Amino acid sequence: MITLKKVEKNYRRGAEEVRALRGIDLEIEAGEFTAVVGPSGAGKTTLLHILGCLDLPSRGELYFDGARVDKMRESELVTLRRTKIGFIFQQFYLIPGLSVVDNIALPLMFSKSQGKKDRIEELAQTVGLGERLHHVPSQLSGGEMQRTAIARALVNDPEVILADEPTGNLDSTNSEKIFDILHKLHQKGLTVIMITHNPELAQRANRTISIKDGMIA
Amino acid sequence: MSGMLKLSVQNLLRHRTRSFLTMLGIAAAVGVLFSVFSFNRGFEEGLAKEMQATGLHFMVAPSGCAHEVAALVLHGAVTPNYLDTGVLEEIKNADGVSLATPILVAQLPNPDQQRIDLIYGVETDLLPEIKPGWEITGEIPNGTHEILLGYNVAEHADIKPGAEFSYPNMDTVFTVSGIIGQTSSQDDAFVYMPIATAQDLMDRPNGATAIGAKVDTPERLGTIINNLEEQVPGIQIVTMGQVMNSVANVAASAKSLSLAIALVALIIGAVGVMNSILMAVFERSQEIGMMRAIGASRWNIFQIIMKETTILTIVGGVAGIAVAMLGARLIESFVRQIMPFVPTGDMLRFDLGLALACVAFALVVGLLAGLYPAWKASRINPIEAIKG
Repeated sequence: MITLKKVEKNYRRGAEEVRALRGIDLEIEAGEFTAVVGPSGAGKTTLLHILGCLDLPSRGELYFDGARVDKMRESELVTLRRTKIGFIFQQFYLIPGLSVVDNIALPLMFSKSQGKKDRIEELAQTVGLGERLHHVPSQLSGGEMQRTAIARALVNDPEVILADEPTGNLDSTNSEKIFDILHKLHQKGLTVIMITHNPELAQRANRTISIKDGMIA
Repeated sequence: MSGMLKLSVQNLLRHRTRSFLTMLGIAAAVGVLFSVFSFNRGFEEGLAKEMQATGLHFMVAPSGCAHEVAALVLHGAVTPNYLDTGVLEEIKNADGVSLATPILVAQLPNPDQQRIDLIYGVETDLLPEIKPGWEITGEIPNGTHEILLGYNVAEHADIKPGAEFSYPNMDTVFTVSGIIGQTSSQDDAFVYMPIATAQDLMDRPNGATAIGAKVDTPERLGTIINNLEEQVPGIQIVTMGQVMNSVANVAASAKSLSLAIALVALIIGAVGVMNSILMAVFERSQEIGMMRAIGASRWNIFQIIMKETTILTIVGGVAGIAVAMLGARLIESFVRQIMPFVPTGDMLRFDLGLALACVAFALVVGLLAGLYPAWKASRINPIEAIKG
């Protein structure tokens, strides 16, 4: 589904040239539940951004469903992210003034597709927020905010969910709930790639990729 | 509300004070702009109406500033020079002149009523021809001690036709023969009396501020005046059209200055919008990065920011016009104090077309100010933004 061939990624941080990824060969199959682990600064997030077609490799090749991503135009990348990829972040990134329903519907606004109210409410139910539809983020707990973010990632029916430490800001009970949701999505056939520092959660994924110094260890 | 609009409104509401202050800047500029334009329009209309209300085509003035004389006859003041009415017959008999009357305008203090009356001496039997539009309750004066009151004068002192009217330290007792219905022009402020009575009262036998005249064919006005100036030496003739231009020219500089101030205010307002939106963009760069990650194109981000600018300028503009209308009386009395000549009647009237044009202009300026922040937002690199 997603293929990386000898992918390298360099970027500048002040005067320093950072070699974030140093030749990654990776194949993610459709329907996999993959955990990405490794120490801080190893290049996990950079890898996730490249897998999510948000960032492009400095060298090497990137394919999504057989299409060469690193040669795509900006507009094609936008369409790809919009239709096939769902992102979840450690800091949730919900829009403060918007209700749970409106936050979930946010990606639909960009694709100009009319989100069906039923569909959005159904997604909210799926992540256990059926009673919180019209609450704004400041009225939600951390776990509820992350569940809203998961529903938002699902609203465009993506093929793959990319989660960057989705439980990093949550306690163990809420972490467990988030993991359960991701696990259920995987069971329904969705491809899930999750960065985590939690070895116990990583073990429960069906594949673990360990990154160290920009390479697969 | 559509999703993107709702998002833009929410973004503005996040910093209510900042958004409010930015809007206030736009509101002030649009309010001033609208007031200046409506005042200009009202001024020109009022001036034209007032010139028409004189009922005269031209005025013959003594040497000096003929325009000043004409303007004073309009509003009443003491002129330094008086015209000898000896030339009256010559003007009356000139080719094309259908009517001519001496006019003596003067101020007469009336301490009992705590005001200064504006006396307008004229050949009263000609009044129906000069002012065919007047609706008079009572009669036109035909005796030497009869007077006709303008609407405001009568209203102010609550005087009815037939009442007696006198000035302190004067033996003469006047009878009010009639009262003019409201004209909403300067006519409402005068006390009309026979020219001889006015000359007597002011101790100016045969004196006149000017001679007012009407012609039989207004199209021939130029020729008639030229001929008259050749025939009668030592006089100056000024047409009401010239007076109007002259007053309008004096007002023009004040108008262009106020317009310039309004435009500068609008530019300052627009810079305020740019600053406020730019700040909001920097503060929200992580959020914008997230939106790019979940499928927003650069164009989507650009649109969201431009919508915020549009809302700010439209709401600010409409508020500005509302405030200008609410404060119209205040603005008008202020302008009347600083401008040398302002026609009577309401200068600030609501005109939907003008209001829309002012808001549209503010919108264009606001949108120009929003372009840079919107472009900047659309160029935010999602990776760097998300990494924070």
